[in-house]
Amino acid sequence: MSEPIVRLQGINKWFGKLHVLRDVNLDIYPREVLVLIGPSGSGKSTLLRTINLLEEPTEGKVFFEGQELTDIHTDLNAARTRMGMVFQQFNLFPHRTVTGNITLALQKVLKLRAEAARQRALQQLGHVGLADKAGAWPSQLSGGQQQRVAIARALAMEPVLMLFDEVTSALDPELVNEVLLVMQRLASEGMTMVVVTHEMGFAREVGTRLIFMDQGAIIEEGDPRAIFANPQQERTKSFLSQVL
Amino acid sequence: MTITAAPQAPPDRGLRYFARQQTPWSWVTLGVGILALMALFVGAGAILTAYGWTQKCPPGSKAAECTTTTPLVEGLLSPELGALAVAVIGVGAVAAVLALLRSRSVPNKQAREAAIAGAVIGIQAAVLAGVLLWFRGSNVEVFARNFLDVRLLREFFPRFVSGAKNTLILSVLGAALGFFLGLVLALFTLSKRAVIRAPARLYINFFRGTPLIWQLSFAGLGVVTALRLGFFSGTGGPYKVAIAVLGLNLAAYSAEVYRAGIQSLERGQIEAARSLGLSYLQSMRFVIVPQAIRRVIPPLTNEFVILIKDTSLVIVLGLAFFQKELLGVGRDIYNSTFNATAWLGSAAGYLIITLPMIRLVTYLERRLRSGLTSVVG
Repeated sequence: MSEPIVRLQGINKWFGKLHVLRDVNLDIYPREVLVLIGPSGSGKSTLLRTINLLEEPTEGKVFFEGQELTDIHTDLNAARTRMGMVFQQFNLFPHRTVTGNITLALQKVLKLRAEAARQRALQQLGHVGLADKAGAWPSQLSGGQQQRVAIARALAMEPVLMLFDEVTSALDPELVNEVLLVMQRLASEGMTMVVVTHEMGFAREVGTRLIFMDQGAIIEEGDPRAIFANPQQERTKSFLSQVL
Repeated sequence: MTITAAPQAPPDRGLRYFARQQTPWSWVTLGVGILALMALFVGAGAILTAYGWTQKCPPGSKAAECTTTTPLVEGLLSPELGALAVAVIGVGAVAAVLALLRSRSVPNKQAREAAIAGAVIGIQAAVLAGVLLWFRGSNVEVFARNFLDVRLLREFFPRFVSGAKNTLILSVLGAALGFFLGLVLALFTLSKRAVIRAPARLYINFFRGTPLIWQLSFAGLGVVTALRLGFFSGTGGPYKVAIAVLGLNLAAYSAEVYRAGIQSLERGQIEAARSLGLSYLQSMRFVIVPQAIRRVIPPLTNEFVILIKDTSLVIVLGLAFFQKELLGVGRDIYNSTFNATAWLGSAAGYLIITLPMIRLVTYLERRLRSGLTSVVG
């Protein structure tokens, strides 16, 4: 197997006295679609946010493309341009248009010229099926459309890794599918993805590897279909019996 | 059973509908109340104008020989005005009695509201007329001479205009300095580093914790001369000190407003910006601050209104004649004429400047509350 894109080494994290991540070790390889599931408060979102250091681990090391992000000499901003992240609450910038949301980092971080940034934004909007919304304001879009813009915004940076943090949890049920379809297509194009989700169907159909977390630790890990069909751990069993 | 799915226009509940719901009784009650109030304002205005508001006195004439407010005093004490006030009290009382008489048998809410409005307006007119009668029993002559000398305002009008100009210059330049410095201070107070937060907090607490009048006196009379700050000396010195201190003071207050605005944004905004690779400063500049400023425009406008009034405190600095602001002008005129109408001139000047600003705050607040995130662009 090739070199991992991400390596988490002995990660421990405390929020005050609360031990939210316990000795997590994890390698993520190119073209993987790694799905993190688990009950709320199990630390799966915190783990995801540790990968691009939105959460700084109390102990342990985070490597990205062989570079240690937890080393203070690392240019974290440069590393983050190669990792896209999509949030539960979309977090579009409400004071910028759809295109303005996408071009901001292209111009200010990647230093693209205005016209080149706009072209790239329009191209990404086309990929998520929102070419006609280029001039709209985020507040004029539905939740599903906003989330697709957020995905386009992340993809426009041409990242090698995409992080999805419960991206369909804040959506009305009838809007979930349009977002999942975009993610599914992205996976089929070979994008490396880490997905925290409650969508068990997506986990089974699209995921190439599944991790079940509970109380800050990785409990079970393996092929999604195998785990769904035949969970090895008691806690995995009881969790799956409640959500399926 | 069928459900009509087609949407329907809402029922008409406008002014016309309101009028259709009235009964003769409610019309009369409302009419009598309005009549009382209109009679008081129009009648009193007509009587006072007929007697005249002011008269010209030959220059150098003594108060015993000629007083400019004599016609006004005659109007105020005239039997016509007294009769009008008594009549208004009567009409107002009629409106109240009319409302009480039939209040049990009112047919609908609209008629009841109209009758209540008529009664309330009638009572308000009666109360005002009562105050007028009481005022006629006091020393009207002395009051009019000291507070209602319109001729004085006319005579010193250019001075008041000059005062208003200086009030505006002081507040606009003070605001420019204060709003800019306040934003920098706010960003300092939000730093994760205590060594940056601490001095900013110290500054804010000092300027919020001491009176502005003390800050102006201390800077103008002490600091500037002691530190030999050439820029702040000479004729223009006190004026510059005033702008600087007003700005430094406003910075402390506006810093708290900006800080609240920044903290009211969702955490996800900065996380989204940082995860795109923007640095902390870039995130602040392009994502956080533009949104925060939109949110704090109404409270900052409010701070600006407060600043306009606070410019009056520069009176302690001893500005030159042509630098005087509204209150200073009022005081100068009072000191030379011993007529308190000058103070009313100052008040009118402040109101002409602040009332539109207060309206603007209300308008901006309503516009922001309606959820238009793209309001300013």
